[in-house]
Amino acid sequence: MPETPTTLATTPAGADAQDREFTVEQRSQFQLVLRRFLQHRLAMVSLVVLVLVVLLAYVGGWLWKYEAGQITPDNSQPPSFDHPFGTDAVGKDQFAQVLRGTRISLQISVMVALLSTFVGTLWGAVAGYFGGVVDSAMMRFSDLVLTLPLIAVAAMLAHLFGGSWYLIAMVIAGLTWAYVSRVARSVVLSLREKEFVEAARALGATDTRIILRHLVPNSLGSIIVNATLLVATAILTETALSYLGFGVQNPDTSLGLLVSEAQTALTTRPWLFYFPGLFIILIALTINFIGDGLRDALDPQQRKVRQ
Amino acid sequence: MLAFAVRRIAISIPVLLVAAFVVFALGTFAGNPLDPLLAKNPPAPPNVIAAETVRLHLDQPLIPRFFSWLGGLLLHGDFGPSVVSTQDIGAELGSRLLVTLRLIALAMVIALVLAVLVGVITAVKQYSITDYSATFLGFLFIAMPSFWLAILLKQAGIDFNVTVGDQVLYTIGASSVPPPPDTWDRIVDILGHMVLPTISLALISYASWSRFQRASMLEVLNSDYIRLARSKGLPRRTVLVRHGLRTALIPLTTVTALDLAAIIGGAVVTERVFQWKGMGDFLLTSIQTDDVYATSSWLLLSAVFVILFNLAADLLYAVLDPRIRYA
Amino acid sequence: MTRTRAASLVAMSAAAALVLAACGGGGGGGGGQGGGGSSTATGLFQNCADANTCNAVPADQLKQGGQVSFAIEKNIDNWNLNSSEGNVFETNMALKPLLPYTFITTPDLKSTLNPDYVTSADVTSTSPFVVTYKINPKASWDDGTPVTADDFVFNWKTQDGRDCPACETAGNGGYDQIASVVGSDGGKTVTVTFSKPYTDWKGVFNSAAPLYPAHIAAQHGDLNTPAGLKSGFDYLGSTPVNYTAGPYKVDSWQPNVALTLVPNPAWWGTKPKLDRLVFRVITDATQEPLALQNNEVQVIYPQPQVDLVSQVAQIPNVSQTQGLGLTWEHFDFNLVNPFLADKALRQAMYTAINRDDIIAKTVGQFNPEVKPLNSHMFIPQQDGYTDAVTPTGQGSGNIDAAKKILTDAGYTGVGTALVAPNGQAVPSFRIRYTVGNAVRQSECELFASYVKNLGINVTVVPTDSLGKTTSSGDFDIIVFAWVQSPFVFGGAQQLWLSTSGSNYGKYNNPQVDQLINEAAASTDIAAATKQLNDADKIMSDDAYVLPLYQKPTFVAVQNTVANVRNNSSLDGPPYNAAEWGLRSQ
Repeated sequence: MPETPTTLATTPAGADAQDREFTVEQRSQFQLVLRRFLQHRLAMVSLVVLVLVVLLAYVGGWLWKYEAGQITPDNSQPPSFDHPFGTDAVGKDQFAQVLRGTRISLQISVMVALLSTFVGTLWGAVAGYFGGVVDSAMMRFSDLVLTLPLIAVAAMLAHLFGGSWYLIAMVIAGLTWAYVSRVARSVVLSLREKEFVEAARALGATDTRIILRHLVPNSLGSIIVNATLLVATAILTETALSYLGFGVQNPDTSLGLLVSEAQTALTTRPWLFYFPGLFIILIALTINFIGDGLRDALDPQQRKVRQ
Repeated sequence: MLAFAVRRIAISIPVLLVAAFVVFALGTFAGNPLDPLLAKNPPAPPNVIAAETVRLHLDQPLIPRFFSWLGGLLLHGDFGPSVVSTQDIGAELGSRLLVTLRLIALAMVIALVLAVLVGVITAVKQYSITDYSATFLGFLFIAMPSFWLAILLKQAGIDFNVTVGDQVLYTIGASSVPPPPDTWDRIVDILGHMVLPTISLALISYASWSRFQRASMLEVLNSDYIRLARSKGLPRRTVLVRHGLRTALIPLTTVTALDLAAIIGGAVVTERVFQWKGMGDFLLTSIQTDDVYATSSWLLLSAVFVILFNLAADLLYAVLDPRIRYA
Repeated sequence: MTRTRAASLVAMSAAAALVLAACGGGGGGGGGQGGGGSSTATGLFQNCADANTCNAVPADQLKQGGQVSFAIEKNIDNWNLNSSEGNVFETNMALKPLLPYTFITTPDLKSTLNPDYVTSADVTSTSPFVVTYKINPKASWDDGTPVTADDFVFNWKTQDGRDCPACETAGNGGYDQIASVVGSDGGKTVTVTFSKPYTDWKGVFNSAAPLYPAHIAAQHGDLNTPAGLKSGFDYLGSTPVNYTAGPYKVDSWQPNVALTLVPNPAWWGTKPKLDRLVFRVITDATQEPLALQNNEVQVIYPQPQVDLVSQVAQIPNVSQTQGLGLTWEHFDFNLVNPFLADKALRQAMYTAINRDDIIAKTVGQFNPEVKPLNSHMFIPQQDGYTDAVTPTGQGSGNIDAAKKILTDAGYTGVGTALVAPNGQAVPSFRIRYTVGNAVRQSECELFASYVKNLGINVTVVPTDSLGKTTSSGDFDIIVFAWVQSPFVFGGAQQLWLSTSGSNYGKYNNPQVDQLINEAAASTDIAAATKQLNDADKIMSDDAYVLPLYQKPTFVAVQNTVANVRNNSSLDGPPYNAAEWGLRSQ
């Protein structure tokens, strides 16, 4: 976002006054966004909870007395002081398992968010910036990807590539980038005609420079919101894939795998069914609230309705 | 409008063909459909393996195999040989499409009605307790793994039956076997089978659609023409329904159409949990048995379906929104 | 190569627990208890002394009418059980009340003649080897055509591999040894002559490879030509069964949903009591307990699993029981691996394995009766079962003994990082199991944790195609299950001969080969049994395969349903479907 003023600062004299006002507003815009986000109670609570979950998964897993996958003599024990989430049939501590599942699920979903945001933003930005034939060819392709049911195609691809966590992440990202590309394109379309882009073009900036330094940074707001929500989508998609038998496979694990392995345990060993499920909900819920808070902060319009 | 529709379809065709090839190639590389036969113990006689190789066209290279499949499909409506020799993929898809459509259509209607109702109410009563609880519930449903929710629903359905002391809800299949002879009983039986799967499929879409409807309703309520209508002294109900809701519904059409692919995906999970033998069940079996022709046909069919649905949504858009005209 | 049809059926059953079937010929059936009086039994199955009469209610005390639904886990894609594609356990169970056969396996795992179809079946000459069947004079297809020698001839010719080379059969074993099938006495006496003595003769035309109607096949081709046989054979596979010679007939077939049977009015035996018998397709076993609880099905027969068993136990008015069946789980070494070619290393690793602990952490959690299996040749229900494993110390979990074996053999780094006597470090081994099979995953993880104590690293790597992995030898250690053949001698040839295709780990001991071959060719059952047990002793000492346990089978029924009982054989509970009925209240 700071790119805009820098470019404008080099514009010929005469635009000075207007220019400075613009700069100031830009900065305060950012502060406004931040302040609005901080005031969004639900989003802030969610952020705190999510940070705690992440800390628990990484630091907690490291401190906890049992390692994930470690076989203890206690088979199928309900939650106790020793095993807060109980144990499974072989005697694995479910708390350690859930923490490890959380780590891998988070890794998968963050990787999905990063990959698909990167690819999707570039794709959409290039399409939107050039327009015409390039645009319609590229967007037809995105549309096609959007046409395919995510779960169905992901199941097929996962069957093809196997079940390690990063492959699952790549499969999901290979389909979700298309959503991002649409968002990025629509933002870029509206930015393309803005003065600062014309100014940059007039200065002889190359297409690559305009896309990377002006268009992409300025569409970051909506893209970040989208990336946040993608994290939640990825966790749920991975869970559904695991349920269908096409998700992460042992020796890797994930919350999805844990919960689908425990699908029969609902009434008999409920601790195996509920704890990983609750962690999935906790992560997906907090991320959605954070995304919602971010959106509200970036686009405050819809909040001021007077009756 | 007709020209627009034709052009849209024309654009989709080459894209579909490329997609069909990619899917077909992926399916071909995904696994060898003869594996189960080769792994049999005692080994299948060599003549059996040779016959299967020819029947599935595995003796041909990928490209000719693809074109003969496509040619057969377009010219004769032949979807190609399934690894299950007695199975006609086209007939199978046809009968399963009906099962899935029934599930999806009802779930979408329920989800839409609920979403519009809740969306409008929460927008009108913004920041009320109703709004907060509906919002929270909505987010909760969005965050729940669908099969997790479905398993809980199933258990709840059985508890409901026990409480009522009668077999009202069913957990397996689309109807009883054999169906009750009486027409009225048959309807009740089918409804009893539909309740749980429909709810579990509808809840997922409902949640995100109601959020969307709320946002779009808020935007409309905030607009100048609504303020004008209010200031003219029109009754609140008239303003909300005639002016507000009608406009706020337009974006939901697009979202619904875009979400169709996701709903078909969701149905794969729902069908598995409730043992509906629809499209989703067919896809999973086909993937697991490396049934390339079946998988490719499935994806092609679902893509055609989604494209047509999107087209219909775009046309509907024009009907709803007087500003849009397709030349 | 010989095979038992029934055995290969299981090879195709539940993907989650893919089981490769042991196959073979040989005489002798089983003895022993089956599931009678099991401590896993509840309700109807409690205090049941004889496995063959559990939950028995005489026909005259049953309600006339009603419906029973039995859950099967696979769709019926092909109706010809004798074809490669149709040879599926679930299809076999569903067609049991429709097609005639000679012998069937009762819950005590004995081959028993069914007099409704065949009143006698005897070896009437040993040289040449001749079996004479007397078909029940009343036996006929529902269109009035009697069941005759023609049906035997058709089923023989389509499966012998000579008369119809294009017929895609499940296998040719047994039928390829038949020299002639001759009908006399109006076709009601069948004389089957074998080209050489065939002790497995009860395995042909039995309930796993039932008779299909020749007269219906003849409508689709000239049965005197290979092409005609093939078109008849294929027709029977592609067309849902619309003929019957059994107590029930097909009322309707909804693909992927259900096969509905109603009583066959032309049935000459005891009339079934039910109005309808439904085989309901539920492809996900985890959904079965809820369907049972909600009374959408009345009988389920899934692979037991700890949650499933306790989930069913919570359902009121439902009884369950388990039996120990023909399927047994085992670890295999791949002797092609140069390190695993060393007997001492194998012995030490198997000695470190604690089978009691494995059982306690897997199947023992829902079946306290599961014990380590101690023979490669017999299961405890079969005559001749002798403990060959315990004396070797393998499977005991005795780490000290295991370490001693290694030290004595010249290994160093025992308990830390094992080094072979030749100075090479013992590398990490891969243990494989079928993806998604939680029990086998646990078994692999436990295996790794035991041998870790010896300084050996084992990594657990799942496979999504057990068949491919075994046949290509892409493993160092693997866990899976064999189906014990009721015909033990041919079964032993199939599994253990150095020339057998199922000997995936390439075990080769000429002494064992000789003993097994002699046993299979013997006419003296007692001597043959001893030879197998001698071979077993050698094999156990060689530490090639470590038997773990017999897998339990599980049946659960609504208490209203009578005469349904566990049958751990490959005929499954529907072996007596004609007797099923509802209790009169």
